[in-house]
Amino acid sequence: MGSAVMPSVCAAKASYKKAPGNLELSDTHLQWTPEGKNAPVVRVGQAEVITLLCSKEDSTQTRMKVTLVDDANGFTFTFTSPQAIARAEREKFTKELTTIIARNRATRDVAIRVAPVVVPPPTPISTSASNAPTPRPGPEALRPSASRAVSVASDRRNSPVISGYETSNDYNLRKKVLLSNTDLAALHKDLVMGGQITEAEFWDGREHLLLTQAAADKQKKGKPGQLVDPRPETVEGGDIKIRITPQLVHDIFDEYPVVAKAYSENIPSKLTEEAFWKRYFQSKLFNAHRASIRSSATQHVVKDDEIFDQYLEKDDDELEPRRQRNEKVQLLVDLAATLEDHTETGNERDITMQAGRQKGALPLIRKFNEHSERLLNSALGELPPAKRQRKDSDFYQQIDLDDLHDSESSAGIRLEMLDRQRYFEGRMQRPGGLQGKKLDARTMAKGARAQLVDWQSKLAQFKQERKPGDAAVNTMTQNVSARLETKSRKNDIPDGLFRQMTTCQTAANEFLRQYWSAIHPPPVDLPTVAIPTPAQRTAKAIKMISYLSKTPEKIAALVKVAQQHNVDPLRIETAMRPVLNAVNQALTYDRNKKPIRA
Amino acid sequence: MKFFIDNLPIIFPYDRIYPEQYSYMCDLKRTLDATGHCVLEMPSGTGKTVSLLSLIVSYQQFHPNHRKLVYCSRTVPEIEKALAELKRLMEYRTEHAETEEDRQKEKNFMGLGLTSRKNLCIHPEVSKEKKGKVVDARCRDLTNSVVCAKGREDPGSVDLCDWHENLGNMEPGSLIPPGIWTLADVLQYGREKGVCPYFAVRRMMPFVDVIIYSFHYLLDPKVADQVSNELSKDAIVVFDEAHNIDNVCIESLSIDLTRPMLDSAGRNVIKLGEKIEEAKTKDAAKLQDEYAKLVEGLQDSFDDEPDTDAFMANPLLPEDLIHEAVPGNIRKAEHFVAFLKRFIEYLKTRMRVLHVVAETPLSFLQHLKDITYIERRPLKFCAERLQSLIRTLELDRLDEYSSLQKIAAFATLVSTYDKGFLLILEPFETDNATVPNPVFHFTCLDPSLAIKPIFERFSSVVITSGTISPLDMYPKMLQFTPVVQETYPMTLTRNAFLPLVITRGSDQVAISSRFEVRNDPAVVRNFGSILVEYSKIVPDGIVAFFPSYLYMESIVAAWNDMGILNEVWKNKLIFVETPDANETSIALENYRRACDNGRGAVLLSVARGKVSEGIDFDHNYGRAVIMFGHVYSFGFPLGLGFDKTSIPYQYTESRILRARLEYLRDAYRIRESEFLGFDAMRNAAQCVGRVLRGKTDWGLMVFADKRFARADKRAKLPRWINQYITETASNLSTDMAITLSKLFMRSISQNPNENQTGISLWTLEDIEKAQAIQRAQAADHERQDNEDMEDDDYGDGGIDDGMLVDAVLSV
Repeated sequence: MGSAVMPSVCAAKASYKKAPGNLELSDTHLQWTPEGKNAPVVRVGQAEVITLLCSKEDSTQTRMKVTLVDDANGFTFTFTSPQAIARAEREKFTKELTTIIARNRATRDVAIRVAPVVVPPPTPISTSASNAPTPRPGPEALRPSASRAVSVASDRRNSPVISGYETSNDYNLRKKVLLSNTDLAALHKDLVMGGQITEAEFWDGREHLLLTQAAADKQKKGKPGQLVDPRPETVEGGDIKIRITPQLVHDIFDEYPVVAKAYSENIPSKLTEEAFWKRYFQSKLFNAHRASIRSSATQHVVKDDEIFDQYLEKDDDELEPRRQRNEKVQLLVDLAATLEDHTETGNERDITMQAGRQKGALPLIRKFNEHSERLLNSALGELPPAKRQRKDSDFYQQIDLDDLHDSESSAGIRLEMLDRQRYFEGRMQRPGGLQGKKLDARTMAKGARAQLVDWQSKLAQFKQERKPGDAAVNTMTQNVSARLETKSRKNDIPDGLFRQMTTCQTAANEFLRQYWSAIHPPPVDLPTVAIPTPAQRTAKAIKMISYLSKTPEKIAALVKVAQQHNVDPLRIETAMRPVLNAVNQALTYDRNKKPIRA
Repeated sequence: MKFFIDNLPIIFPYDRIYPEQYSYMCDLKRTLDATGHCVLEMPSGTGKTVSLLSLIVSYQQFHPNHRKLVYCSRTVPEIEKALAELKRLMEYRTEHAETEEDRQKEKNFMGLGLTSRKNLCIHPEVSKEKKGKVVDARCRDLTNSVVCAKGREDPGSVDLCDWHENLGNMEPGSLIPPGIWTLADVLQYGREKGVCPYFAVRRMMPFVDVIIYSFHYLLDPKVADQVSNELSKDAIVVFDEAHNIDNVCIESLSIDLTRPMLDSAGRNVIKLGEKIEEAKTKDAAKLQDEYAKLVEGLQDSFDDEPDTDAFMANPLLPEDLIHEAVPGNIRKAEHFVAFLKRFIEYLKTRMRVLHVVAETPLSFLQHLKDITYIERRPLKFCAERLQSLIRTLELDRLDEYSSLQKIAAFATLVSTYDKGFLLILEPFETDNATVPNPVFHFTCLDPSLAIKPIFERFSSVVITSGTISPLDMYPKMLQFTPVVQETYPMTLTRNAFLPLVITRGSDQVAISSRFEVRNDPAVVRNFGSILVEYSKIVPDGIVAFFPSYLYMESIVAAWNDMGILNEVWKNKLIFVETPDANETSIALENYRRACDNGRGAVLLSVARGKVSEGIDFDHNYGRAVIMFGHVYSFGFPLGLGFDKTSIPYQYTESRILRARLEYLRDAYRIRESEFLGFDAMRNAAQCVGRVLRGKTDWGLMVFADKRFARADKRAKLPRWINQYITETASNLSTDMAITLSKLFMRSISQNPNENQTGISLWTLEDIEKAQAIQRAQAADHERQDNEDMEDDDYGDGGIDDGMLVDAVLSV
């Protein structure tokens, strides 16, 4: 399917660089095609749009400007229709685009992984470098713009609300679901914003989407695992530059409390913010903190620093860690207990097997263990001492071979069902009732044998008639060639018509879903859902039927349009037939049905 | 379930049983019936311990003569696990006992575990000491008989241990109520009752049915003399996880002497001399008394010593125990001190030599005699004489005298054995070192020496492990004749583990930890990319093993600098084994938390290191285990075309290794390459075998070294691993291995459709069916034999087939 048939969400006449043309927003792209041409000149992926600006309401020209992720200049379009229409058109575009932009920002947000910034963000500086580092956008800028909130809030006012059902939380969830599912969003726009069905009706039967979203939201993103290791970049002139972001500062403070201590003790009394960082990155302290043994190489100048040097600790490269820990570990992982189980005997192990010979690596290794533990604790909390207390059951669990237990011997869960007795009795009676007499295995065997008598000669005589065989092969060939043909044939239904067909079909489907769920309500197992009363359900069914009854007309209209576009109307009919059938089925059912029982 | 093997009723604490567990039990029973020794290899994680305990306890409870079980394991976690296993078994047996009488019998069954004072002490101050040696010494100061007598006579005059005192008030023989007590249970009990757990266990040992402790308590003569002397001869001795038993044997008879140690021993001697002078003025009768005793003979004087006083046993083996009078020239205390001084001075002189010396004990003794006129005989009595002196002087804080004790033990050993030992003096730590740091190695070469008394003393010794292939190596090295020698394949309905051999990186550069290439950046990067790739695709835990600490520490640093670890951090947390045991334990605990939590983690550790022994990585704790490089014992790598001369004299231990290899070749006809290959493979198999427990567990086993691709090397892996290495999986590049691993994980994560019951899981009926088939076959066989006999017997008085068969067997 080429770009030509992409369904457009909205379209309008607009000029770009003073050339008239058509601006169109499809499901994936924003594109502008000069008048009289087929191929778009401007074509921007939805995911790239990052900001949107509009001209003032009272200005003479109705303009809209979009900027992209990697192109701050962006594109400016002027709506060329008469002013009133142009305004409406622009309104439509802005509404769509704000949604898209909010989504883009949300995904970008995740990619950047903004952690809450606890420390007051210091002014970014660079060490011994002249370049000013680019400030990272603060969390403020990454939030969805306020206009979005307003526009959606107005949606909410428009849609009738079943009281007690709608909560702000729910609303946020819906928003998220719609943002992540464009098809659903399109349907929602058509039907709910178009006022055909209510918000509640739309979500009725789609609760699982909301629940999934809620569950996904509950998952808290942990801290990323990487070590804090600001790697300096070398810039021209042999200078070294390290970019400092609030995030980095936060991470450094978190990882090395001693830096936080130095920060609080020296700022602003002794050092300025800038001087602090500058000196820190040149100090021995920073070198000791770097997650590397390459720092021992004089890769960059390390100066004595009377402020930072006093925070310097001895390298943690002895066989025993500098910080002894007294926690008692579980006996099942206690290596020290084995070491002390008996007096040391034997010859010393050879030099390669003596742990800790590579002194430079020890602080690094310890840092890894500590870092991992810190990450773990940040997610799970400290290991409470009670957890370390073992119970027999813990031990047994660790030595148990679970597949040796007989799973079948366990008492199963009893199936609770209505009228259990009748169900089983009914089953007992049925075979008797149907067949009356007991089956005699011997007679059956005899019968079977009689049928098999002389099977070899019968098999030899077996002949296949030619005609039906040929016919079968023919149909199969035709089927295959027909399919091949459809596949290879280009879809020549015009874009607009195709889109209309899709819309018609999805809308009809949604009405059908609403209708049938009103007729046969699904079993209620979700506590959040308010159960509609029979009266409500009847009302809903009637409403849906009224919508559905218009479907044949719509299809007829489509066929007409098709004729105008020189498309074989038969094809449209064929395409729409399943929908039509389903609709007719519902209509027939509706005519014959009794009113809904309470 | 309950079933019978022959007439023996077996209670097995599960509803099903693996076929290999059943055959294991059958063979075990055969050994016990025949009162002989056996070597059994059973796949890791198929419930070896539970089968073993279940059979032996059934055996003990069925036979009236009640043979005691001595169960030895390597590490405290394993001891604790075995105790828990036993405890659960006994709970099951009690619950399923058929009569009230039986139930009572099960309840009275007693099992205990023994470990050091350091691990069992609950004294608030003594238990805080970091070093086991110090705990031992301080404990002795509070509990030895002299102090106790003084303290009881005049309360408050000396410090006593209340927990130990409370023990004295209890009925001997019921210090701990019957039942199974894990180490943690005993500690808890001690705290509750205010009694000393260590001595409670020690004193209960004659009354228990099962005692579980470390190899050393039986193999190391210095310890065994103290704790295992009272075991009766019909006890069943089990060495579980015995794949390294030869090393434990050798270690228990080897001693290293260093300069600081000699200096400290010299100071000890001076202090000892001062004490003697002091004693002479205060209590001369005591020394006189000792002298009189020594004239009569050493051994007798110690026979009635209480367990609290023992501090340093003779390093000799039981049959060498001396029942003669101590030679005259060291009988007097001051003479003995002078004698020691001379000996230490001599050793110090030897240490000044700046080239490597290797000599036999005989030549050492000759040289010693030539220079110092010290004879062999008094030297032999050194350890015992020192013991006697220390006792007489009533010294405290014995840990300060540990250097001197070591020298004395060395003197006794070197003068006792002519064969199977070698003295090696290494003046420098490495070949490149310029500052001398001399070490005098007294090294035992013959593992059979230490274990010989065990085989002679006990009628049934069971040697078992997950990885002791090739089986005939152990009887050869340890010099015994097993009655049963068996290895069991793993029956699986689907392949629960996937062994892969990665021989080259994705860039096709061969990878190896061979010395010449191991620090090649391409190899280091390829090793790294294996870790990165696996950290991306494997859920939960990955364990990686390196051939040595030195290599691990340098490669971790290199990976960090290359940014490889940064990639790993993105997917998993990283934990690394450190030199400190406690630190590593905490890291291990956190590693397990990360695996339980789903965050996932990588553990970097060393084969033959602290973690590789005794810590299990089953289920989510180890979904993949990666062996980086080929693990040759003694750390240094060897080329493939190994011959004696090519062993690089790279490291200290290689000289010891070389001596050992030569000894094995000359004494037991084990070729060097054979032993090295065997040793490397058992270490590798040991590491990878730790990831499985039970047949529903699954894991990847990655061998990353091109040397694993060789079929002859792989043949030394245990059968249960080897049978699952396919030809395609034995020579892979990293990307191919990743693809295979992904496929494997996708299929293994499916619910197993087929029912394992009957194939890899047996119910009671399956056992009976197997037994019926066995019986039928046996009957068949017998009948055929009879027929054969009749047919072949021509009455000409010649040798018939049956006799021929017997003749072949008895060779």
